Amino acid sequence: MKVQCELCPKMCLIEPGQSGECRVRINIDGVLRTVVYGYPCSINIDPIEKKPLYHFLPGTPILSIATVGCNLHCKNCQNWPISQANPEDENISAYFCPPERLVALTRRNNCPSLAYTYTEPIIYYEYTYDTAKLARSAGIRNVLVTAGYINEQPWKELLEYVDAANIDLKGITEDFYRRICSGTLKPVQNALIIAKASGILVEVTNLIIPTLNDKPEQIRQLARWVKVNLGGETPLHFSGFYPRYKMRNLPPTSLNALETARKIAIDEGLDYVYIGNLRSKQGENTYCPGCKVLLIDRSGFTILKNRLKDGCCPDCGKEIYGVWK
Amino acid sequence: MTRRKFIRRLIKASSVIVVGISWLAKNTMPRKFVRAFRVKKYPGSLKPLRDISKQSKWSG
Repeated sequence: MKVQCELCPKMCLIEPGQSGECRVRINIDGVLRTVVYGYPCSINIDPIEKKPLYHFLPGTPILSIATVGCNLHCKNCQNWPISQANPEDENISAYFCPPERLVALTRRNNCPSLAYTYTEPIIYYEYTYDTAKLARSAGIRNVLVTAGYINEQPWKELLEYVDAANIDLKGITEDFYRRICSGTLKPVQNALIIAKASGILVEVTNLIIPTLNDKPEQIRQLARWVKVNLGGETPLHFSGFYPRYKMRNLPPTSLNALETARKIAIDEGLDYVYIGNLRSKQGENTYCPGCKVLLIDRSGFTILKNRLKDGCCPDCGKEIYGVWK
Repeated sequence: MTRRKFIRRLIKASSVIVVGISWLAKNTMPRKFVRAFRVKKYPGSLKPLRDISKQSKWSG
């Protein structure tokens, strides 16, 4: 008997013995099964700035995990060897790490938070949910790094145990999502709005791909959407593209393109706009939107100086959006 | 055929149709799931936990 997975907007109709588009949710004898629960293929301790999260516990380590699989198939995916892999692929092996073990590992390594990242935490939903719930009860914060391609009901349920999320807004047109990501824009925008309204810390990432989503008007439209729907205080990261996976025919994003995008977004009224994947002095730092003074001085993923006082600018006293301790 | 016989046959035929449609609906409509159940065994290969302290090579 066929089953239908209602976790994400793809709503896959799955034949017996087959998997959904994510490759990890399988119809076994008429029951939907997740084959990656408790089996991450990657466990590492990263600086939280690598997610990127710049307004959440800066300078702290974060235990980061992923299983194989993804419900999108972006042609430019930087992590395609794991995101587009099948669990049974010989070259990708996994650890056995159920939620209890993962939480214990996070504590033992003195990480204040745990990230579900690298591929897509939505496709290993049950593992993310159970671990996040357990981590919360152990005083550990939960961070999602996601494309936000999920249906409303499971998204709201998961957000109850999430403290922060970096959500990709990969483009601002349906056409981009359809052609490049094999997805659609509306559910992502909906997930962003729900996440922000739920009260968790939200940062947004937009990967700028030369010729595909780098036109000033597209950048302006995206920044405007963020400002209107999520608020001007929402941090926006413009990331540089590198030719990978099925998109090796385009050049990497230039620093100039990223800096132009940053300027456009600031002009549109966003308070915190960053540049990622390429070094940019101004684009790495946090400045006070009130008095423009330097608040957090970064070099790559390293915090050189953090001048915030109780989450506020020490000079003008403006409260800075974020979770600082 | 009397009117009573006709009505009886009509009821019988309608019941057969209703039962048939219910059976078809039950057996051909997909079962819907939001949450998936776990499997007992991972279909791929497993590796022992190694040093996790270094940064991941993956983006994010």
